[in-house]
Amino acid sequence: MDITEYIQLVFTDYTLRTITLGTAVLGAATGMLGSFAVLRKQSLLGDAISHAALPGIAIAFLITGAKDTNTLLIGALVSGLIGTFWIRGIVTKTHLKSDTALGLILSLFFGFGMLLLTFIQKQPNANQAGLDKYLFGQAATLVESDVWLMAIVTGICLIVMLTFWKEFKILLFDADYTKTLGFNTKTIDILITSFIVLAIVLGLQTVGVVLMSAMLLAPAAAARQWTNSLAMMVFLAALFGAFSGVFGTAISATQNNLSTGPVIVLVASVFVVFSFVFSPSRGLLFKQIRFIKNRRDLELHKTLAFMHHIAETHEDISHPHAIKLLNNFQGYTRSTLQKLVEKDYVELKGNMWSLTKIGFETAANLYTKQVTENE
Amino acid sequence: MSSAQFEIQLIASLVAVACAIPGTFLVLRKMAMISDAISHSILPGIVIGFFITHDLNSPLLILLAALTGIVTVILVEYIQKTGLVKEDTAIGLVFPALFSIGVIMIAKNANDVHLDVDAVLLGELAFAPFDRLVIAGHDVGPKSLWIVGTILAITVTLLFTFFKELKVSTFDKGLAASLGFSPAILHYGLMSVSSVTTVGAFDAVGAILVVALMIAPAAAAYLLTTNLKKMLGLAIGFGIFSAIFGYWVAHWLDASIAGSITTVLGLVFLLVYLFAPSKGIIAVLYRERQQRTEVSLLTFLLHLKNHDDLSERHVKHLNEHINWQKVRSKTVLDLAIKNNMITIDNAIVSLTEKGDEFTSKAINYIITNEDTQIEDMKDDFFLFRG
Repeated sequence: MDITEYIQLVFTDYTLRTITLGTAVLGAATGMLGSFAVLRKQSLLGDAISHAALPGIAIAFLITGAKDTNTLLIGALVSGLIGTFWIRGIVTKTHLKSDTALGLILSLFFGFGMLLLTFIQKQPNANQAGLDKYLFGQAATLVESDVWLMAIVTGICLIVMLTFWKEFKILLFDADYTKTLGFNTKTIDILITSFIVLAIVLGLQTVGVVLMSAMLLAPAAAARQWTNSLAMMVFLAALFGAFSGVFGTAISATQNNLSTGPVIVLVASVFVVFSFVFSPSRGLLFKQIRFIKNRRDLELHKTLAFMHHIAETHEDISHPHAIKLLNNFQGYTRSTLQKLVEKDYVELKGNMWSLTKIGFETAANLYTKQVTENE
Repeated sequence: MSSAQFEIQLIASLVAVACAIPGTFLVLRKMAMISDAISHSILPGIVIGFFITHDLNSPLLILLAALTGIVTVILVEYIQKTGLVKEDTAIGLVFPALFSIGVIMIAKNANDVHLDVDAVLLGELAFAPFDRLVIAGHDVGPKSLWIVGTILAITVTLLFTFFKELKVSTFDKGLAASLGFSPAILHYGLMSVSSVTTVGAFDAVGAILVVALMIAPAAAAYLLTTNLKKMLGLAIGFGIFSAIFGYWVAHWLDASIAGSITTVLGLVFLLVYLFAPSKGIIAVLYRERQQRTEVSLLTFLLHLKNHDDLSERHVKHLNEHINWQKVRSKTVLDLAIKNNMITIDNAIVSLTEKGDEFTSKAINYIITNEDTQIEDMKDDFFLFRG
C-alpha cells in the first residue's frame, strides 16, 4: 500500500479515520500538558498516575457492572487523583523522597488494580471481558464519541491554559516569586496537576497504563530541544504528539499484528532521538561540532601565541625561524601551521617560518581583546 | 496446607527477601524509580532470550534480560549526562521505548512464541510449583524456587561481603571515594543485583510487582528506623509477612496472588505511614500542632516581657493584640500556666521568674540566629508540651 492510497483510506474508512483522529488529538493534548510536567520535574508522575488509575477502572466496573467508557474513565480519574495527592502527602509529610513515593504509589495501586481485575474475571458477569485492554490500550476500540470526548477535554484544557497562561508560566519558573506576588500557588498547582491526570486518563484507552507516561514525556522532551520559549515548546510538543499519533497509527495499520500504543511510543521516541541529535542549539551533533571547532581554534591561537613569543625577542618580527623550534610545542601540528599560512599570519620558506605583520599584531592582541571572527 | 501451597509461599517469601535487600539500598540512594525502569525494560531481553532458549527459566535468558536492565541504567545515565533533559525525564524516556520494542517483538512473533506480555508483567505464582526441576530423574523442587534461591544466596553473600562499602557509599559518596571504594563499581554492582533479582522474580510475581516488593517494604521500614541494619531486617520482615498473608488473601478471594501480595504490602505501608511513632503522618501532624502552640507561647511570652504597663498585659487585651482566636489564646494561656511561666492576678498576666529566664534565653538565641537551640531549651523548661 503506498502513501496516497493510505491517505485516501484515512478519509474513507471509518475505523481508521476515528483512530487517526483520536491518537492525533490525544498526542496533542498529552504533548501540551506534558510540557508542564517535564518542566516541573514531574516527569515520572505520569507513569505513577497512569498505573494508579487501574484500580479506579476496576472499582468503577464493580460498582456499576457496566463497561461504559466514560464511567470507567471517571473511576480512573478519581483513583489517579487520589494517587497523586497521596504522593504529595508522602513527599511533604515524611522524609521519604519523591522517587520512593512515586514507585510506591505506582506499584501498590497497580497491584491492587490487578487483584481487582483478576477478582472481576472470576465473577459470573459476562460483561467483564476486555477490561484488560486498559493495560496496554487498544486504539482499535476507539469510537467517534471517544474522539469527541477527547477533543472536548483537550479544548477545555486549551482554554484553561490560555486563561491562566501567565500564572502557569510564572509558577513553572519561579514558584517563590509567584507566592510573593500574591497568587494562590496551591490552586494553580492543583489545577495543572489535575489536568495532567486528566490527559493521562484520556490516553488509557488508546495506549494503556504501561506506556502512557511516554506519551506525556516524549513529545515535551523533544520539543524542549528546539526552543527556549514556553509557548513555542507547548506548541511544538502538541505538534510532535499529534504527529506521533498519526504516524504510529499509520505504521501499525499497514502491518499485521502491530498494536498501536507501542508503535506510537516508538515514533515519539524517534522524535526524541532526532531532536537530541540534530537540534541546532542543544543537539549532540552540533555540540560536538562546536567542541571540535573550539579546540582547533584554541590550538591555532596557542601556536600563534608561541610564535609571537619567539618573534618578540627579535627586532625584525619577520625574522625567519626553523620549524623544528615548534616541535616541542604541544598545540603545533602541520595542519595548524598550514591554517596560519592560509590566514596570512605566517609565511613559510623551506624549513623556516616567519610571522607576517598582521600575524604579529593579531598575536599581540590575542589575549587582550576578543577576536570576533571566532564567535 | 498442600505441598504446592507450601512451595508457593516459600517462593513468594524468598522473592520478597531477595527484593527487599537491593530495594532498601535503592530507596536510600533515591533511585527507587530505576527499579521500575528496569522491570519494564527487561522485556526485550526476555523476548530475545526466549527466542534463543525457548525456556523462560533458562539461566541464559536471565542473564540476557539482566543485561538489558544494565543497558537501561547506562542509557539513562548517558542521557542524564548530556544535560538535555532533567534526570527523571531520562528514566521516563528510556523504559517505555524499550518496553514498546519488547511488546512489538512479541506481537510480531505471536504465532510461534508461547509468551504473553501479561504473563511477563504480572507473572503467575500459582503455576510455579508445576514447573519442576528434575535432575537425573529426581524431582528436586520447582524450578523457580531454585532460581530465586540462587539469586537470594548471591545477594546475601554480596550483602555480607560488601556491607561496609555499601553503607558508606550510600550515605557519603565522597567519603566512600576517598576511602578507596569505587563508587562506580558499587553503583553498577547494585544495579546488576537489582536487574538479576527483577528478572529472576518476574516469572513468579511479575515485573511490576517486583517494584512493589522492592520499594514498599523498604519505604515502610525507613519510616520506622534510621538504622541501616534494622531497616534491612524490618524490610525483610514486612516482605515475608506480606508474601504469606497475601497468599492466603488471594486464596480466599480466588484472585491473582501477586496482586494480593501487593495489596497487603500497600496496607502495611498505609498502616506504617499513618501510625509510625515519629515519622508517621499522625505523629507529624500532632508534632506540627504542638510546635505551632509552642511558637505561639513563645510569641506570647516575648510580648509580656516587652510590655510593662498593665493595660498591655490584660488578658482581654492579649486576645486583640496578638490577634488570636479565643480557643487558641486559651490553650496558650493554659500551657503557660501549667509550665509555671506566668501568673494571672486580677486578669493581669505577668511573667514568673522561670518564665522570665526562659524568655531571655529565647531572645538571646533568636538574636544570635541559633533558633534551633530553642528546641533543646524547651526540654529543660517545659513540664508539659503543647
